[in-house]
Amino acid sequence: MKTNLSDLWKKEDWLAVWIGFAVIAIGCIAVLTGAFDFAAAKFSTWHLWENVAEKKSLLAQLDGAFWVKLLRTFLVLGVLFTLGVKLQGGKIKEYIPAFLVLFVLSVLVRLISAEFTLNRYLEWAFWALIVGLLISNTVGVPKWLRPAIRTEFYIKTGLVIMGFSVLFSNIAKFGLYGLGIAWIVTPVVILFMWWFGTKVLKIGNKPLVITLAAATSVCGTSAAIATGAAAGAKKNDLGIAISISIIFTILMMVFEPMIIKATGMSQLMGGALIGGTVDSTGAVVLAGNALGAEAEQAAVLVKSIQNILIGFIAFFVALFFATRVEKSEGKKVGAGEIWTRFPKFIIGFFVASLVASFLIQPLAGSDSVKAINGVLDQYKNWCFVLAFTSIGLDTNFREIAKQMQGGKVLWLYIVGQVFNIALTFFAVWLLLSGVLFDIPVLDLYK
Amino acid sequence: MAPERRRRIYRAVTILTVVAVLGCAVYIMARRMGLAPGYDFGAGAYYYADIPGFESVVRDDAYQTEVPLWVHIVLFLGWGWLMYRLWVWIDSRKS
Repeated sequence: MKTNLSDLWKKEDWLAVWIGFAVIAIGCIAVLTGAFDFAAAKFSTWHLWENVAEKKSLLAQLDGAFWVKLLRTFLVLGVLFTLGVKLQGGKIKEYIPAFLVLFVLSVLVRLISAEFTLNRYLEWAFWALIVGLLISNTVGVPKWLRPAIRTEFYIKTGLVIMGFSVLFSNIAKFGLYGLGIAWIVTPVVILFMWWFGTKVLKIGNKPLVITLAAATSVCGTSAAIATGAAAGAKKNDLGIAISISIIFTILMMVFEPMIIKATGMSQLMGGALIGGTVDSTGAVVLAGNALGAEAEQAAVLVKSIQNILIGFIAFFVALFFATRVEKSEGKKVGAGEIWTRFPKFIIGFFVASLVASFLIQPLAGSDSVKAINGVLDQYKNWCFVLAFTSIGLDTNFREIAKQMQGGKVLWLYIVGQVFNIALTFFAVWLLLSGVLFDIPVLDLYK
Repeated sequence: MAPERRRRIYRAVTILTVVAVLGCAVYIMARRMGLAPGYDFGAGAYYYADIPGFESVVRDDAYQTEVPLWVHIVLFLGWGWLMYRLWVWIDSRKS
């Protein structure tokens, strides 16, 4: 394989980078100048039959402003992805109607996942898979819809946009305590799961093993998406890893604080343990909150550091797979070959993160970065919903059963998560119990 | 134990585990356990930017450290590189 200059505007990876940068640039201009509104559509939490006083009913939120945002979202993503497909040599006459239908399905997914109870426990990624699977396994996916099923393209673009929200300054938020809990433990758990999955359980699907390991040890869905893309995981791999992580997160969110309370662990230690082990950030906040204000703060601080890890883990995974997993037996992979194989969207992810951390944040302030991320986050979510709906449309139930490898994947997660909890507890005890170091004091005044 | 019997036990334990986990998850959802009043999100908010009003949940200056940022970054990168080398070593070992 040779690298050409034209790759910059013809290859999917680079096009995902440019599209991601375009969305980030427009988002920055819109927020920093206040000249125009660039917000993407989002359903507020709704309910059908319950009286949840503070929530809007479904119909009440479908006002003029919502439709304007929805149209804007469709046009921004539609135009950019169509251009990207055209540059890759695709037929836009086939892509545009297919994208329109995929977008409508994605709207349905986001609508379902905004329902009060469903929204509280299951992510839209789960509903996107379900909707796609239901269609593909019942009526089937029509041939004309296939041109829009470009899972990797949407995922890579979403990841580049997500890069802007990864702020390096978070690394020092909990000092060396946080770094010790979040960063010392995480790679050890990944290596343990890699060893256990590939050497003990002998799972041949290495991208699935590393995707599940990242989901378990880092932060669930977002880490799985980034790592899966970096390792070249199959679509089903990502769906399986995320589904397992989502279901177990529900259990851990409820049972982990109960167990911590029963053991009499301090709030600081309990919160840090939750931050290091519960996957989704929303679940971390709630589980920490169940223990108390100090636990909640400690949990969020540790999780904030884990969120920074996503890009680095994805980078090392991409490097590992480019140099070791994809190489021919006995052949050494040269620097040129590594560059050719390396997924370039990771570079886009890092550039976006560096720009946000060392350019926009110092110049415009933290509040501006938060406001920009408020806008960009919805575009990222739309990209991921398009991707996960595509995964569902491209998957059948038999394939999923085969991918589970007789339950080995489930046991890999369970054993890995138990190891993660044990090791994180050890780190938390060592750093925060006062046996070796001073117990840190958190300022809880809001 | 005969391999066939071991396989059957493994299969039964796996199925029981799946049923128990799914049953627990459905029970938790049906009883709306683990939610907090005043927070308009749940486990479904997988990333911090998805949490409405996240800035009111976490304080940026809740902990003050005297260790400079660059020390954190050096330790972060150093440990990452060390772990990468360990990964390569583990992978090169025969199972």
